[in-house]
Amino acid sequence: MVARGTTTVYKPAQEDTVLEVADLTKNYGSRRAVDAISFRVRKGEIVGFLGPNGAGKSTTLRMITGFLAPSAGRIRVGEVDAVRDPIGARRQIGYMPEGVPLYPEMRVHEYLRYRGELKGIRGRGAIDAALERSLRSAQVEDVRDRIIGQLSKGYRQRVGLADALLADPPLLILDEPTSGLDPNQIRAIRALVRGFAGDKTILLSTHILPEVEALCGRVLIVHKGRLVGEGAPGELRGGRGGVRLLGRGELDSYRAVLEPFDASVKLRREGELVAAELHLEADDAVEEVFRAVAKAGLVLRELRPFKTSLEDVFAALTTDESERSGQSSGEEE
Amino acid sequence: MRAALTIAKREVRSYFVSPIAYVLLVAWVYITGLSFYLLVTWFATNPSTGGSNNPLTMFFGQTVLFWIPLLLFAPVMTMRLFAAERASNTLEPLMTAPVSELSIVLGKYLASLVFWVVLWIPTLLYVWIVSRYGDIDLGVVAASYLGVFGVGLWYMAWGMLASAVASNQVVAAVLGFFVLGAFFVLGIAEFVHYDLTREILGYLSVWSHMADFSKGVVDSRYLVFDLTMATLGVYLTVQVLSWRRISG
Repeated sequence: MVARGTTTVYKPAQEDTVLEVADLTKNYGSRRAVDAISFRVRKGEIVGFLGPNGAGKSTTLRMITGFLAPSAGRIRVGEVDAVRDPIGARRQIGYMPEGVPLYPEMRVHEYLRYRGELKGIRGRGAIDAALERSLRSAQVEDVRDRIIGQLSKGYRQRVGLADALLADPPLLILDEPTSGLDPNQIRAIRALVRGFAGDKTILLSTHILPEVEALCGRVLIVHKGRLVGEGAPGELRGGRGGVRLLGRGELDSYRAVLEPFDASVKLRREGELVAAELHLEADDAVEEVFRAVAKAGLVLRELRPFKTSLEDVFAALTTDESERSGQSSGEEE
Repeated sequence: MRAALTIAKREVRSYFVSPIAYVLLVAWVYITGLSFYLLVTWFATNPSTGGSNNPLTMFFGQTVLFWIPLLLFAPVMTMRLFAAERASNTLEPLMTAPVSELSIVLGKYLASLVFWVVLWIPTLLYVWIVSRYGDIDLGVVAASYLGVFGVGLWYMAWGMLASAVASNQVVAAVLGFFVLGAFFVLGIAEFVHYDLTREILGYLSVWSHMADFSKGVVDSRYLVFDLTMATLGVYLTVQVLSWRRISG
């Protein structure tokens, strides 16, 4: 059941919080699809909601947009408690559901006029103005008179985006905005979304990693209904990469040289040699490492820079212990 | 309630761009035409059997040729309302727009009533035909149509409920047929019962209902029944939608 009856008035922890989700939980029967997820989205951010299929991304977005009622937890959109006043919350959200369901028999402008009326835009003049603005922002002016069922998937996706933009809401929620599109269409949608940055606050879900790197300032990683990671894509990667080296000498002398670069350097003995792996903040730090090692009189056999990808982080966070100990699954796109 | 009108408008338009509306209308005109033709020829060859009846009073609800097609048609008219939207996922953008469940349900209900009214427009032809060859009482005709509208009020509401419960259109139609059929059978069971049971069943009976109205007897108890059932159907549909938000 929905948690009701609490009389808490939410005071935003930070003035510019547009969306706040606390301990959000959804049970389907005995299965827990979303498990106590909490996060906050600030004004102007583009936040990526990242996770494998079935992680609970859509369920979470559907609770925020009011399509589903939470089993427990709180949602605040702007100043509105979305659990107690779902309609008030929905007024501030432009939502593009997964797969962008539209009425195929309608023309684009008919559909958007209908949606404008539903969203409470009053008067012909106001609806026309909103229609023109959103057609332009979503770049679908050229298909305004076409029947939706005859549009390509890329265009349909943009019509969905135009719908989300209609009432000029502060918060856009886009569920898998580029799924099923070809690379050109994906580029077009991403360019559009990037264009909204600053003006709108955007929460988008995806299971495509490059998308997050391309679009989002911050990532929330969900797995099995839980939030397992959060941060800027760069932060999550833990710097830009690092270096692996193999050399002759004492383990402790390597530690002394390398710890200034990375306090958590990993060292181990491999026969007569010492292997080390350390993370570095800057690309040119590799040269510094080489210089430092040489200066200490240690002899290197191998020095190999590497880059951590977000994919590694994602795989590490969303793979079970049991899976990890087995073979690594190569399912990522 | 402005949202309900917006939804009703779109729903009516989508009714009439779908082929099913025309298939239904053509079949309906054919079946009612046949029924009317049979009644007229029967009265023409048996002039003494008239009494207070004429082909029109018989047409409105006193033959199985009226009820069987109607019991089949009504659920087909309402089956798409929610089931089709759920199948195509368009229920999600609808239910995440800033409108209440009640507005959505009333909008769709209103649209189905418009379709119900449209269904009866062709039957005005039969009224016109009878009026050319004999005297008709316009009051009786008006009462007949009022009765038909009353039946539609709750047939559409319960058909809509079936559509909200069912997972797809076919299931919605079948479920609607069984629910309306159950009420129908319960109603005509009045003829095999006595006393209080008979009175209660007669109150439920669309057959007795239309028998009164088609003779020009406007029984307000039947209108109260229609409105109660319609309200209940709308209320339950809203509950189903709310429940689906919780159950997923």
